[in-house]
Amino acid sequence: MSVLTLQNISKSYGKIQALKNLSFDIPQGCVFGVLGPNGSGKTTLLSIILDVLKADTGNFLWFGQPGTPEQRKKIGSLLETPNFYHYLSAVNNLKITNSISGRGSANAIDDVLEKVKLYERRNSRFSTYSLGMKQRLAIAAALLGDPRVLVLDEPTNGLDPVGIAEIRELMIALNKQGHTIIMASHLLDEVEKVCTHVAILKKGELITTGHVNDVLVDDDIVEISADNMDALAAAVYNYRQDIKVTRDENKIQLIMPKGTSKLDEINSYCFSNGIVLNHLLFKKKRLEAKFFELTNN
Amino acid sequence: MFTIARTEWLKIKKYPAFWWVMGITALTYPGINSILLYQYYDLIEKQNAAGQVVKALLGNPFALPEAWKTVAYFSSIFVFIPAIVIIMLITNEYTYKTNRQNIIDGWSRKDFMTAKLMDVLILSIIVTILYTLVALVIGIANTTKAPSAKWTMAYYIGLFALQTFSQLSLAFLVGLLVRKSFIALAIFAFYFIMLEPIASNLIRVKLHSDIGRFFPLNISHKLIPRPAFIGRFDEKAYQATLDAVKYHIGYTLILIVLTWAFCFWINNRRDL
Repeated sequence: MSVLTLQNISKSYGKIQALKNLSFDIPQGCVFGVLGPNGSGKTTLLSIILDVLKADTGNFLWFGQPGTPEQRKKIGSLLETPNFYHYLSAVNNLKITNSISGRGSANAIDDVLEKVKLYERRNSRFSTYSLGMKQRLAIAAALLGDPRVLVLDEPTNGLDPVGIAEIRELMIALNKQGHTIIMASHLLDEVEKVCTHVAILKKGELITTGHVNDVLVDDDIVEISADNMDALAAAVYNYRQDIKVTRDENKIQLIMPKGTSKLDEINSYCFSNGIVLNHLLFKKKRLEAKFFELTNN
Repeated sequence: MFTIARTEWLKIKKYPAFWWVMGITALTYPGINSILLYQYYDLIEKQNAAGQVVKALLGNPFALPEAWKTVAYFSSIFVFIPAIVIIMLITNEYTYKTNRQNIIDGWSRKDFMTAKLMDVLILSIIVTILYTLVALVIGIANTTKAPSAKWTMAYYIGLFALQTFSQLSLAFLVGLLVRKSFIALAIFAFYFIMLEPIASNLIRVKLHSDIGRFFPLNISHKLIPRPAFIGRFDEKAYQATLDAVKYHIGYTLILIVLTWAFCFWINNRRDL
């Protein structure tokens, strides 16, 4: 069953079209990354599904039903920037989250503050927090009451490297417990490490969507080298017609359609041509390279 | 509804600016009336002929039941003080984007606006209670008549509440439209103190038209006529002002409904 279904969503800001006829499904139990460069429409999309923005056309369904406030109460969300009452402490801000959403309790507030390592500063005013602490509080608010669905917009924004790693581990752990996480990010590394599914946006258009392994890893790359690199290069050019060969000083890369590389066959082909390989490595295509390719950057 | 009220209380109860302005309001209402009372006694206690004439002309506007009207009139001038809180309560939501967080957390846009309507209503009630206490204390302290007459003009409590709610609703509307605290405060103060009084007086003097009484603040301002002693300078015009009050109750109610209908409509249409 789909947690969220988008149907032909479009949104314009004056003459600028932020989203163009967007449609895709987000399956239950996944970590779904909405990936795209700045200005691709990621935050606009999340704002629409959280009813902060109104779509010009199209609609969305949470668990097969049109979006309602009651559904939003069950979703933990962090949108764009941490939005809290600057004169209130972390605890009092989370009391407001609890009062509106009905998620969590007094004990749950302490628990989530401990989880994001903000418990020691729980009674300090929000206005005294650093950017990283504000982000941690926003994550705590989203986690309050252990919601089954989380919508997180750039969740590691403003966090230090340790904080980023902690939040990633937290998201992976939550996903293992069955939570569905919808996450927008422009950090490829983050998406690669955390997400199971991805949608790539560019200038408001959906470029592609699906399982991370299907979308982002569609080429096999085999790296080889030998003592005589010239002979090796001459040999592999005749190995197969459907491969692309790139060469630098120390190694040659054979780029082949996904699932067609056979290391033993390559090794034996080279050996039969009188070349002994001293390096043979299968590599996945890097997400970054794939992302640039998809978005034509 | 209880949850909405509780959430608003969580927002307000630790908001220092709210308590500061409420404190200033709590000092201003008794303060301004006490100053005028002091000046009144200072004037009538002069033993010369002028003092006696003033005493005969003014009567005692601070004795019950007239005190209900006198205190209401002078207190209503300072409605811009609680208006500061109302404007800050809505503009802060936009400044810190907490309005969008409230929606994200599960309120509907209607819930959000209902919460703000409750803020304005509760503040109007607090200010009205303050006015009632000031009028009662000053009135009782200056009254020598029989107890039965003391409450005959107590309906000014209702008129004061209606006027306060109407004018604070307009302050809220300015905050909702402008969204920036200081700009909204400046616009409301300028309109309240300068623009509307000058415009309505100019129209009255230059164009000989009474259309100014239908200006947004004047509609409810006419609910509480000036104290009776001022009316003695032109009895006919003063009686007309008193007669117009019942119509202005209707106009004010219509204005309040229109103001809030517009607030709900605009909040529903707007991207947050």
